[in-house]
Amino acid sequence: MPFNIYVICKVAGFHIGQRQDWQMQLININAFSWGYGVAIARKWFTQVAMKAFAVVSFMLAAPFVVAADLGKVDVSHSSATLHSEYMTAEVGETVWLGLELTPRAGWHSYWKNYGDSGAAPLFYWTLPDGVVAGEALYPTPHRMPIGPLMNYGYEEPSILLVPLVIANTYKGSSIPIALDVEWLVCEIECVPQDDTWNAEIPVSQLQIDPTASSIFRTARTALPEMAIWSADLNIYPAQSRLKIHVSESEIAGVTAAYFYPEGEGVAEYAAEQQWSITSEGLFVDMLRLEGGIEAENGNGVLVLTFDDGTERAIEVEAVIVQEVAAAAGSGAAPSVQAALPLWQAIVFALLGGMVLNLMPCVFPVLSLKAFSFIAANSKTASGRKQEGWAYTAGIWLSFMIIVATLLVIKSGGAAIGWGFQLQEPAFVGSLVLLMLLVALSLSGMFNITVGVEGAGQGLASKDGNKGAFFQGVLAALVATPCTAPLMAPAIGYALTQPAPVVFLIFSVLAFGLALPFLALSYSPALAKMMPRPGPWMEKLKEALAFPMYLTAAWLLYVFNLQAGATATLAILVALIAAVFGVWIWQSFSGRVSRGIAVVFMVGAVAGIIYQPFSAPLGTAVQGNTDIQPYSEAKLAELLAEDETVFAYFTAEWCITCKVNEQVALFTDDTQALFAENNIRMLKGDWTNRNEEIANLLADYGRAGVPLYLLFPKGQSEAIILPEILTPGIIAGAIKDIS
Amino acid sequence: MSVAFSLASQSAAVSGEQAPDFTVTTITGEQISLSALRGRAVVLEWTNHQCPYVRMHYGSGNMQKTQRTLTEGGAVWISIISSAPGKQGYVSPAEAQQLATVRGSYADYVVLDPEGIIGKLYAAKTTPHMFIVAENGALNYQGAIDDIPSASRRSLKDATNLVLAAWSDMKAGKPVRRPITKAYGCTVKYSDVSG
Repeated sequence: MPFNIYVICKVAGFHIGQRQDWQMQLININAFSWGYGVAIARKWFTQVAMKAFAVVSFMLAAPFVVAADLGKVDVSHSSATLHSEYMTAEVGETVWLGLELTPRAGWHSYWKNYGDSGAAPLFYWTLPDGVVAGEALYPTPHRMPIGPLMNYGYEEPSILLVPLVIANTYKGSSIPIALDVEWLVCEIECVPQDDTWNAEIPVSQLQIDPTASSIFRTARTALPEMAIWSADLNIYPAQSRLKIHVSESEIAGVTAAYFYPEGEGVAEYAAEQQWSITSEGLFVDMLRLEGGIEAENGNGVLVLTFDDGTERAIEVEAVIVQEVAAAAGSGAAPSVQAALPLWQAIVFALLGGMVLNLMPCVFPVLSLKAFSFIAANSKTASGRKQEGWAYTAGIWLSFMIIVATLLVIKSGGAAIGWGFQLQEPAFVGSLVLLMLLVALSLSGMFNITVGVEGAGQGLASKDGNKGAFFQGVLAALVATPCTAPLMAPAIGYALTQPAPVVFLIFSVLAFGLALPFLALSYSPALAKMMPRPGPWMEKLKEALAFPMYLTAAWLLYVFNLQAGATATLAILVALIAAVFGVWIWQSFSGRVSRGIAVVFMVGAVAGIIYQPFSAPLGTAVQGNTDIQPYSEAKLAELLAEDETVFAYFTAEWCITCKVNEQVALFTDDTQALFAENNIRMLKGDWTNRNEEIANLLADYGRAGVPLYLLFPKGQSEAIILPEILTPGIIAGAIKDIS
Repeated sequence: MSVAFSLASQSAAVSGEQAPDFTVTTITGEQISLSALRGRAVVLEWTNHQCPYVRMHYGSGNMQKTQRTLTEGGAVWISIISSAPGKQGYVSPAEAQQLATVRGSYADYVVLDPEGIIGKLYAAKTTPHMFIVAENGALNYQGAIDDIPSASRRSLKDATNLVLAAWSDMKAGKPVRRPITKAYGCTVKYSDVSG
């Protein structure tokens, strides 16, 4: 057939089942029939038998379209019409019938999988030899919650399409059709409906019925699209996970996803489904009844809702993968990622940004900011406001640069997340240098404009703005490895979204971080409260150098873990060289000495960035020998042994993590509690890049550490503990599960 | 403050494991408990006399035939009505007694469960929804009465009665071949089924 081209384009490269074949033929036939522009409009009303000969002459004779069908019946709580797409059938072809079910207002009929209760329509055919009725094709269903239960079906009229395949050997001049259908309609109460149709379709040349074409076009529009993506359906004891192999760009803008399983044993229909999109594809996680019916059928319909309000329903033919053990971990355990609505992610980002001000990592830099604020009482109100905005701009711009870099690297396929830059020893080394220089400057060795030095001396507002901007940059740099409460779900959400949403969320986050000081800069009352400038300011400034030295020391520690002892020695030399260069610059003004200074400084920075001696270490777990390094396999193994597992995900550059570990996790009391309850500990160290951990974090909707997961005895579903731990929180969680 | 998302898996009766125990007063005022019936097989039948599927299985005699076979084989048959007050199928004890008599039920006990406590304990979803608890207390079957989800009598001649099939496996000392099937029929009219 010449029309095949159209079909081949549409389905090229994909597995085509028999059902699809039928659909294909239909497409062909539709195209074919449109060629018959002069088709004589006539619709058969065949409750009464007809002869093929009479049909043809009647068709030619009748000038009017008589809308008809194979029979409409009105039953107690619904009506049903059987349509035929063709006036005449042909041997070796397929003709389509459509059963239109219209429940009474407020009532509903059912999909082929009716969900928790109900029944799918039953077809009882009586057909001559050589004619076979195929399975009905159902329109995309809807969810209809009934109290604690869930039904799948239609509250509106629905058309079920059934193919009649006529064998080449069929000899009859017409096809007598006897059909008995039992279908159920329910409101709350259910009333089975039942009726019969007797009709006849003449056999000659395949001839479409123009009056029926709009009905069938509507019916086909309501069908889900053919399966275009391959898929797996992993069945766990109490959960199942659908994985659609689709690229993020193909389904950009998805705001909701729901899977209607065709077979039993895949999902608890009334339970919520969770979905997420990662670079590996689209995931839908469902709960299933443990010990329930075994899942054998991976087919179903996936309904995607997009941000422009449109919906797409796509057939899924997933390969069932039985997961015997309660596995867990990245790509294994069904995640509990929540699909946050955008507005909520924005609110979380704003609040999270504000809370970030209280996190230990940002503290040294914020004390700088606080100082410049205190010192600002000599400035005008507008000057203060300008500085507030300059500070905000510094934070925002840094965030945007970091996010843009993150997106670029991620698009290259690397599994990275928020705080990724601190996984680069070169970045950490540069940050050590920066912190050291700022600290030395505060100590009075030399002056770099950080908005603090010269305070109280009527610093020009331009320099003040520059300083404020720089403080913003610094705050952003040290803030990125931290996650604050509320921020984690927002970032986790953002990183699965298209770029504009990512930038929006991070802009809001940056604004949240800047907001407290920005707001303060607008408060004249507060400015009046600030003490008079005086010699005390010089002392306070010098004192502020020490938190910066400590920050440098911590970063050096991180660097040491990442790059090894030799590299640490090298960086120390480089740091001293850089400081020496600065000193020469400050002390001598000759061209030669300036040149020497530049050589030292550039050499030092280059040494830090290129790191000739870097030797990345394995992620050895130190200290407590009972702690094992996290791996997907290890977790699965422990859970299979019915162990209770506490998995924590940390990084050396994550101060929040370290603080939590010190104040809550590695206290004697907590460790005793773990021992008492036989809780096994797994440590996921994300100091360096690790794809397995990045994937697990993504599974839990996170883009960074810390993450604390408590898996109750052998269960693959973890309790997520908050980002800020206290011994009480841990004890409470353990108590809840025991 | 933190935002944790978790899903609570529905706990329900699991085929092959111990059936959840319950103690309840029947419409005739006797107190029965599943654990006290240990040593005999127990059938739980969720029912609602106004549900067309239930009506078909009683009207055709299919349910009574099933009841007779199992009770004569030594099983205890408990019919459970989980319809909430004001919902379809809700009956008083006297009405339930009358229904049992009129329909010629072979059930040993009829239990009213208007709060849906036993219903939710077993995750009973439809009427009819059938459960067989073995002599040792293990849940041996849960699901549909037969394998054709129809409210029409004509389906019976081609249908396999899944309760009888499970029972004959049990009598033969074999594991039940289909220990769990998908129930069909009317929604159990729990109190939180709105309408």
